[in-house]
Formats: sequence, structure tokens, C-alpha cells
Amino acid sequence: MFEIKNKIILAEDIKRLDVYAPDIAAKSLPGQFVSICPEEGDERIPLTVIDSDFNKGMISIIFRECGSTTKKLGKFSIGEKVSSILGPLGLPARIESKGLIVCIATDMGTAQILPICRAHRKAGCKVIGIIGAKTKRQLLLEAQMRLSCDKLHVRTEDGSYVKRGVATDVLKSILQEKKVDLVYVIGSIEFMQSVVSISKKQKIKTRVQLKPVMVDCMGMCGACRVKVGGEMVLACCDGPEFDGHKVDFDDFSLRQKAFEEAGTCQNSKSPFSRKNGGAGILTKLFSDIIEK
Amino acid sequence: MDIPGFVRFIREGQLQSAYKLITEENCLPSVCGRICSAPCENVCIESNRISVRALERFAADSYRSPFLRRPPMKQRGKKIAIIGSGPSGLAAAHSLAQKKYQVTIFEAFDKPGGVLRYGVPEFRVPKKMLDNDISQINNLGVQIKTHCFVGQTITVDELFEDGFAAILIATGAGTPKFMDLPGANIAGVYYGEEFLMRVNLTRANIFARYNPSFILGDHVAVIGSGNTALDCARAAVRFGREVSLVFRRTEEEMRVKEIERILGKEEGVHFEPLIRPVEILPDQNNFVGGLKCVRMDYADMDSTGKWELIEVPDSVFEMNVDTVIIAVGHKPNSLLTHNISGLKLNKSGTIKIDEDDGTTSVEGIFASGNVVTNAGPLLHAMVSGKHAADDIDRYLKK
Repeated sequence: MFEIKNKIILAEDIKRLDVYAPDIAAKSLPGQFVSICPEEGDERIPLTVIDSDFNKGMISIIFRECGSTTKKLGKFSIGEKVSSILGPLGLPARIESKGLIVCIATDMGTAQILPICRAHRKAGCKVIGIIGAKTKRQLLLEAQMRLSCDKLHVRTEDGSYVKRGVATDVLKSILQEKKVDLVYVIGSIEFMQSVVSISKKQKIKTRVQLKPVMVDCMGMCGACRVKVGGEMVLACCDGPEFDGHKVDFDDFSLRQKAFEEAGTCQNSKSPFSRKNGGAGILTKLFSDIIEK
Repeated sequence: MDIPGFVRFIREGQLQSAYKLITEENCLPSVCGRICSAPCENVCIESNRISVRALERFAADSYRSPFLRRPPMKQRGKKIAIIGSGPSGLAAAHSLAQKKYQVTIFEAFDKPGGVLRYGVPEFRVPKKMLDNDISQINNLGVQIKTHCFVGQTITVDELFEDGFAAILIATGAGTPKFMDLPGANIAGVYYGEEFLMRVNLTRANIFARYNPSFILGDHVAVIGSGNTALDCARAAVRFGREVSLVFRRTEEEMRVKEIERILGKEEGVHFEPLIRPVEILPDQNNFVGGLKCVRMDYADMDSTGKWELIEVPDSVFEMNVDTVIIAVGHKPNSLLTHNISGLKLNKSGTIKIDEDDGTTSVEGIFASGNVVTNAGPLLHAMVSGKHAADDIDRYLKK
């Protein structure tokens, strides 16, 4: 059992949890993730470790409430215990030690790119950050990103904050002006695909983090299979970081989109429910006892 | 195992003695009593063959004596770490604890059992029976550390620094073999391991009350003819789905016990022998829309005495299915073995071990079970675990 020490609501239905897990906090490196099961018998979900504090033994995770499991996890409050956390899983991100790096992310990707920005900055790179969101309300971790990047560009799609625009436009203008060594991108599949297509034209090294559906998160089920460089690999063992130019995004999006659609109707009632159980069965039980 | 001994005890009604005699050699009697491939029954010399498996199950299930439940023993020998709590790891732990070693099992999931808990559905091995068997092993002084993924949460070098004299790798073969079938990447195609894991991990094993937490269509096709394929088919039938089992050879050539096949048929799995899937067809939403198949037939015997199969010309047809489950074999998990420097692997990804003393290429590290043999029945994994325990014993006494 792992105790939740702190909980922060960052934006609408995006929450941050700080969990006490000393073994994982001592080991986790930027880019790795943990698999969390809120209650016994639930699905396990992979979530990126945003921050780990070795001295306090704490790891931080940020997630959006979209499926039934994340909704349940979002309802946990400070002091409650999560059933199981396994990690750190996946390979750590490869950190460059010099050069100019552009880290670009939208929506939930911002949370996942933060540890990578920090690590690159610490190693001695110059980091330019670009974050985008639909509206100001959905913009995450702006202050933290400003601290961990040399320069940060913010774009909102409706112009409610800083400037109206899309993150990829900023990337295009930066790539024209400066010589960039590496582009690191995390976001939705279409977004990553568009960034990769931009960087491919200029032949700039690109790394992406893929977040496919996972079941056991340790290479036993094959649910997270992705095609990279014509070969089928598992994102939980060989990833989640991949070379952006080699990933077959069309193949990847086929499966993921369907799961996203299914996620919305996941909470529908079981066709096999027999309407017995809960309070009804208890009253029946007690009445039987009283009669006896 | 002393089979005549325990059969005699059962005949005399001494279930406790029978159970004790079994557990001296076999640490998982109620599991083996259910899903063992029972090679002993095939070579039985009695005139009417004795069903040893059923007797073992009877002895293990009917033995309930709360008075014998004592606090776990404390062992004082050298420390040994076992990675993985599947059948092979448990058998090795049981055997080493009998030799008075301090054994610690590292398990990544919440509960020990490995494939028996997460790969075999509830109706074949009830989790309660598995818990019973594991508590017997616990009583011998074996410690089980869950939520600990060796290689990630703790590395092998750190285990040696912690004072473990030997390490046994028994992580099994859990990664599915990917099938080279067009359309195998669209939504609604599961691999057998994933399907069973989803069924077992979530509460979906209580079939009547819980909805599957994943997309499962009304018509399910399972590709494969092994135990995993049959388990998947039978689990899907329990969700109220129409299930057909598609495989290339005939029913008689399936690698399952005959009784399992009969049970599957009685439960309503449609067996479709002599069919080879060619392509999984997507519908407009990129879900599974159908399965394109070809009929096969026997043509000629090849040089090894095996019948050769060829496609029947113009026999391509389409099966109307919404979900496809592929269960055509598995290979070892590569995550741990890649993290140990200097560990030599075979071409197929299995660990290379010395035939004589069971050691791997790294000193102090042993391997057993399916991570060495790649595939095999439960019994072979347990036996190899026991052999590894003997090897470790010899290595530590040297």
C-alpha cells in the first residue's frame, strides 16, 4: 500500500498526486513511468513519473481523468492508500549533454516533457520549450516549464493567453532561424506526427514518447506493441522513447483511436447484471434471519 | 513422487498422511491436481488406469486441518533470491526451504503465483486453492516480496550486495509471439496473454457480475490450438459470446488433454479444424470486421512421417467475427535478461545454461523453467525448478 501525501488539482479534471514510494523514488530516472492500480482488481494504468524526491521518498504523477480507472484515482484524497504501484518501468530517456534542444508538447504532454527539460538543462544543454493548449484553463505547469527552459513559448488555440496559434508554427519559425540539434515531442498522435513530418524535412533528430494502451506494463501481454523501423516492439520494454522518424504512426493510431473511443463508453452497465447485490441483498438476508 | 504410497493412504482414508506425502515432493498439489498434463496416467501399469490427477486433487482439496497451521518456520541458512513466483520459482523455493536456506521470492505483481494467477483463468485454477498452496510454502519460511521488479526497482548487483549468495531467474516465457498476419494491429485483436491477463487482473473473472473492461464483440475467433487458446475460448464463452476456435490441424492433434477438449466442446466452443487464417479484415471504424480464412487438407506424408498440409484451392471464405484472439505461442520476457550484463542468451531469447551444473554465464546466477526451455507444460517448469534448487545447493556447498 502506498500513501498519498499530497494532491493538487492543476486544471479541469487534471490532477497531481504525490505518493510515498521510497523504493521507486530512489531509482526513477526522467522518462520512466510507473504502473498504478488504485484498488485491488482494477485495471493497471501507466503514468509518467513527473518528479521524484529521493530524500522524502516521494514520486509525483499527473493524469487526466478520462477512463474509469483514472476517474477512480482522481477521487483519492490525501492520506488514502493506493493498492499497488510498480516501477520504475521502461527505459530512461537518453539525455544529451550539449547542443540546442527544442522540447515541444501539448495538453498532457506538457507534464511528461517537464522532467526531460529539467534533465537536459542540468546536463548542460540549451533548452527551448514550446507548450500549447486549447484554452488558458487547460494550460499546465507553465511556471515549472519557465524555470526549466531557457526560453518558453506559449500558444493557445483560442488566444485566451499570450498568443493565438499552434505550437507547430512556433517550431517551424525556430527551425528556420536556429540550428537545432534535437527535437523532443510529446503529445497526441496527430500532433507528434505533424512535428515529425516538419523535422523530417530538415533532417533533425527527433524523439517521441509513445503512450499506447498497456495492461501489465512489463512486457508480458503485447498490448503496447508498436511498429518502429518495420519491427514490432513493445513500448513498455523498449520504450516509451523512440526515434520519431522510425515510428509507424499510421499503424499506431489505428489501435489507439479505437481504444479512445471505447474509453468514453466504458462505464456502461453490464448486460449481465442481475440487479441482486448491494442494499437489496442485505435486507433480504436480515429479513431471513429475523424470520428464523 | 510416491504415487502408490499416497493412493494407498487415500484408500485407507488417511487424507492427512496422503497430503503430507504429496507435499514432500510437490509444492502445488491442488494446482497440479487440476491442470497437470499427467504423464503418469499414460504409463500407468494398472489394468484399468488410475486417474492420479483426480486423486491428487481430491487429497489436496479435502485436507483442511486448522490445527496444523503453525507460524512460519525461521530458516538460518544462506540467503537465496528467486526472481519470479511462477510454478518454477515456487517449486525451487519449496525445495530450497526444505534444505534450510533463507529464500526470498521477488514478485512484480500484487500477489504471488505468476502465470497460475494471471495466465490461467479462475475456472481452471481457483485463486483460493492457489492461495492455500502458496501459504503452505510460506509456512516453510519462504518470504515473498511483492511490488518488486528485479532489474528496475532493484538490480541484480544490489541483490548480491544485500547478501544473497545465489540468484535464481524463473521469470518464465510470458511475451506473446507476434503473428505475421495482415491486419493484426487493428483494434479488437488481442493476444492470448493480454486477453487472459485482462480477465484475471481485473475482476472480470466473476463473469456473471462484471462487464469485461475491454472491447469484446459478440462473435469471437480464437486462433491457436494450445492450452492458452482453449483457455481464451472458454473464458470468452463465459462472457456470453459466440466463440469459434480456429486452428490448422485436426482436433486429435491439439496439444491439450482430451478431457479439456471435451469440456470446451460441452461448454459451447465451436471447433473449426483445418482452417488457416489469412487476413483480419477491418471495418469502417478500424475494428475487426471479419476473418479471411482458407481451408486446409492433408496432402502427403513428408520424410519425417508428419502429414503435410496444403490449401484447398478456391476455398477462401470469410468468418463473421468482431474480435480476434491470437494465441500461437510465447517467448521469454526480455526485460530482466537485458539488464544483467554478461548474461548469455540463445538465439530465441532464452537463457543459456550449463547442462551439468545449471549455471548461467554469470557466476551465482541460475535459471530454470520456461525462461530456459521457452515452452513446456507446468510439470516441466516445476521439475526444472527442483533441479535448479539441487544445483544451487551443490554450488553453495562447494
